[in-house]
Amino acid sequence: MVQAVKRLLFLLPAFVLYTVFMVYPLLSALADSFWTWEGTARRGFAGAGNFTGLFTTFPLNRQLEPAFWHTVVFFLGTMVVQNTFGLLVAVLLVELPAARRFLRTVYTIPYLIGGLVVGYLWSLLLSPAFGPLNAGLHAAGLGSLARPWLGDPATALPVVILVNAWQYLGFPVLLFGAALAGLPPEYGEAARVDGAGARQRFFRVTLPLLLPSIGVVTILTFIGSMNTFELVYSLEGAQGNQPTGPGGATDVLGLIFYRVAFQEGGSNAIGLSSALAVLLFVFTFGVAVVANGLIRRRTT
Amino acid sequence: MRARNGFAVLAATALAATAACTATGSSNGNGDVTLSVWSWRPEDAAVYRQIFAKFHESHPHIQVDFKPYKSTEYNPILSTGLTQAGGPDVAQLRSYGILQPLIQAGDLVPLDGQVAGLSNFETTSLDGPRGKKDHKVYGVPLEMSTFQVYYNKDIFAKYQLQPPATWDQLIADAKKLLAAGITPFAAAGKDTWLLPLYDETFAATRYGGRDFEKKVLAGRAKFTDPEYVAALDVLNQLKPYFPKDQMGLGEADVQTLFATGKAAMIPEGSFALGPLKAINPNLNLGVFNPPPPPGALVTKPLQVGWVDASYGLNAKSQHQKEALELLQWMTTAEFGKLVADQLKQVSLVKGVQSSDPLLGQMVSAYRSDPTPYLMLVDFRYGTPLGSDLQAAGLQKMLLGQQTAAQAANDIQTGLAQWFKP
Amino acid sequence: MKRFFGHLILWAYAVVALAPLVVMVLDSLRPNTDVLADPLGLPKTLDLASYATAWTEASFSTYVRNSVFVTVGAVALDVLVSLPAAYVLGRQRFRGRGVLIAYFLAGLMLPVRLGILPIFYLLGSIGLVDSRLGLVLVYAASGVPFSIFILSAFFRGLPVELEEAARIDGAGEFRIFARVLTPLVKPAIATVVVFRFVPLWNDFFFPLVLLRTTDRYTLPVGLTQFFGEFQTNWSALFAGLVIATVPLVVLFLLATRQIVEGLTAGMGR
Repeated sequence: MVQAVKRLLFLLPAFVLYTVFMVYPLLSALADSFWTWEGTARRGFAGAGNFTGLFTTFPLNRQLEPAFWHTVVFFLGTMVVQNTFGLLVAVLLVELPAARRFLRTVYTIPYLIGGLVVGYLWSLLLSPAFGPLNAGLHAAGLGSLARPWLGDPATALPVVILVNAWQYLGFPVLLFGAALAGLPPEYGEAARVDGAGARQRFFRVTLPLLLPSIGVVTILTFIGSMNTFELVYSLEGAQGNQPTGPGGATDVLGLIFYRVAFQEGGSNAIGLSSALAVLLFVFTFGVAVVANGLIRRRTT
Repeated sequence: MRARNGFAVLAATALAATAACTATGSSNGNGDVTLSVWSWRPEDAAVYRQIFAKFHESHPHIQVDFKPYKSTEYNPILSTGLTQAGGPDVAQLRSYGILQPLIQAGDLVPLDGQVAGLSNFETTSLDGPRGKKDHKVYGVPLEMSTFQVYYNKDIFAKYQLQPPATWDQLIADAKKLLAAGITPFAAAGKDTWLLPLYDETFAATRYGGRDFEKKVLAGRAKFTDPEYVAALDVLNQLKPYFPKDQMGLGEADVQTLFATGKAAMIPEGSFALGPLKAINPNLNLGVFNPPPPPGALVTKPLQVGWVDASYGLNAKSQHQKEALELLQWMTTAEFGKLVADQLKQVSLVKGVQSSDPLLGQMVSAYRSDPTPYLMLVDFRYGTPLGSDLQAAGLQKMLLGQQTAAQAANDIQTGLAQWFKP
Repeated sequence: MKRFFGHLILWAYAVVALAPLVVMVLDSLRPNTDVLADPLGLPKTLDLASYATAWTEASFSTYVRNSVFVTVGAVALDVLVSLPAAYVLGRQRFRGRGVLIAYFLAGLMLPVRLGILPIFYLLGSIGLVDSRLGLVLVYAASGVPFSIFILSAFFRGLPVELEEAARIDGAGEFRIFARVLTPLVKPAIATVVVFRFVPLWNDFFFPLVLLRTTDRYTLPVGLTQFFGEFQTNWSALFAGLVIATVPLVVLFLLATRQIVEGLTAGMGR
């Protein structure tokens, strides 16, 4: 009995803090999404009204679909860079033990400094008027390549993706590095004895063993991408209730959520933004759980 | 109805906290009173303290505590602050549509008959803080903004140019500058809020300015009407003379391009005079309003302008008498002069001259040939905001992703969701 | 030959990773007119004027102080409440333990941002909007799942004999926890501290919504304000970015191992 009380005392602070400031708000958002709101006043049960409202209120209905696809492309682009180039870098690092620690540190620094700082930094570097990138292209005689990177609908989203990949590359390098270090050397040895070349050894032996790490990188990238906000905000700016980027080229779901909740000023902001939050959460969590399950099944 | 601004009201509970800790409108034993004044201009805080020190000299029993908040978050902060104890006594107010929820919630005191000095303002100036339903005045107008084209006199002299008298002249001058490797108009595209103002500046004459405003408000015209579509399209005709990288350039970029002599002209607001001079103190500036484009319904240049801010009285203030004294002081030429000279803004008090001749030129142009910033003055009474719709539409149009007619159609569709003539 | 290409790729990417940061530092040391006139130039002298501008005029000193308070406060509170909970969950068997663990670990996947509106009301109702303390509470709560995840794994890994020996010596539950076991999980605590520090220091969304008064801003919101006000002074902007970056780089150089552990701990999930 005394034991149980003590146990409770040990658990309670964490439980209360976590429940009050994390679980309760998320459950509230879920509940709020089913009501019609007028400012902070709850007006009536809406059923699925807010969810359908997301797709019928102009101009929101026209913004959601492109933003969804931008978010998906953002995720896919980042993921591809991380799981190819990031993996390559991690594999190459194994063969360069002397400088490994230094390089790993260098690659990880952009990750540390955060999306907002990274975005602002690159917005200056990429500026068509005074940015060093275009100036460098002109100086190198490649002036024809210079363009308003963030102001051209064709390049804006790819550039945002590359900046994001630049920021996060250290993360897969570290993860893959740890996974590679943990691989039993016998596997490679056995394959070498069988006469397999380096390439074959990589694709037949190393890569399958790395699949769980690739899965983890992919899932974490997915969750991060669905919520992405700071980077686009600081690279492209956010103005009133308008899609972000040239012609809305870099509008993503995280920004729409912010706009509906805090910028647009519609009377049913709470209902609509909560509904969007719920959809985002269900989608993100659902995909992540399914993907996680798939990975676990493949690997056990 | 106050619930129109969702975030605003949801912050209601929130501000109770801040309010509780903020000692507002307090009085000490001597009967002296401290008024709490809220504003969205943190950058002006130092100047305001000097201004209110002047007020304290002539009104020794009243102290003013100036509390600025972040501009982009000010609207929700104010609307919650007004519903709570501990809010401001006197608050800086936005104008036109965005102000209406506060008026309709009864948060503000109508000043007609209470502040005699309101007669020091023109009727159009009082439209900014006017209630749409009851037509009463809820604030003392602080300053107005105008929007026009600045030009670099040195560059104009070098290429023997004058401010253009006709549209053809404007285009010819732009071509000449372009040929000389100078960007004619430093126009930004990344800060989309500027695009509607560019359109007003170059093309309000095309759709007819105030006549069109009257018609559209009465339901006798729509944004899809040919004259408005043609007005949107005017920016397309000017696109060759905007920077090639327009959509990658923000307001600060184009200001710098202009101030450093890389561009000859810039469409900008009266509020940009200070920043432009800050980048290059030796800039030799002139201003003009563009001549009407072909087919324009108004045949002389118009000056875009709107009331930007006013100061109003919280209905819950414990110090109504003292707050009214402060507001009355804000209608005087003394205060107007401080606004003009210290804040470097266009005061709306009659007879107050701007110390800067350029600001003076803008004001007198506005007095004789005014045209409103239509989307701000008339179409921010509901969501989506007209200015947002127009900005997004113009950006897509300038990117070649849609036509002027499609942009106009989006504006009409969006506004029709809440606007009833 | 192949090895050469491998090294080339690695070093070339090191340049790509660092170049923007080097430009940032170099340009922050040049007068603004130089930065705008010649984007590719190098500093002629060491001009620290931009740092003075950012630090005093733009009140970066205040932002840094607020960021330190909020981040340190949140991480401390997080560790303080997570340690005892992780100890119980990691070392004791009781009914409902599995459910509790699942309850806490679910938080690893919950996007706390989506609850921003209810958090806003909640803090409002207890008077903590526009308050650094409110931010501390939210941040600490959002860290609990990760902290419990890491710490309980460490507690679980400690040998049972330690506890039994202490019990024979007559030590009570609290003593065992505080004096015997907690010192042994110090490396895990270091991992939690360092790893939580980074995202909280960088977080922009919560202070953007929850803070209003300029003198309570943390660095990221302050930076946004700064970019709005000093937009034509690129040299100062770069200096502001350097100020926002330096503490993290220093932290990283001091604690690379903890960061790597924190990152790789995510694999276990």
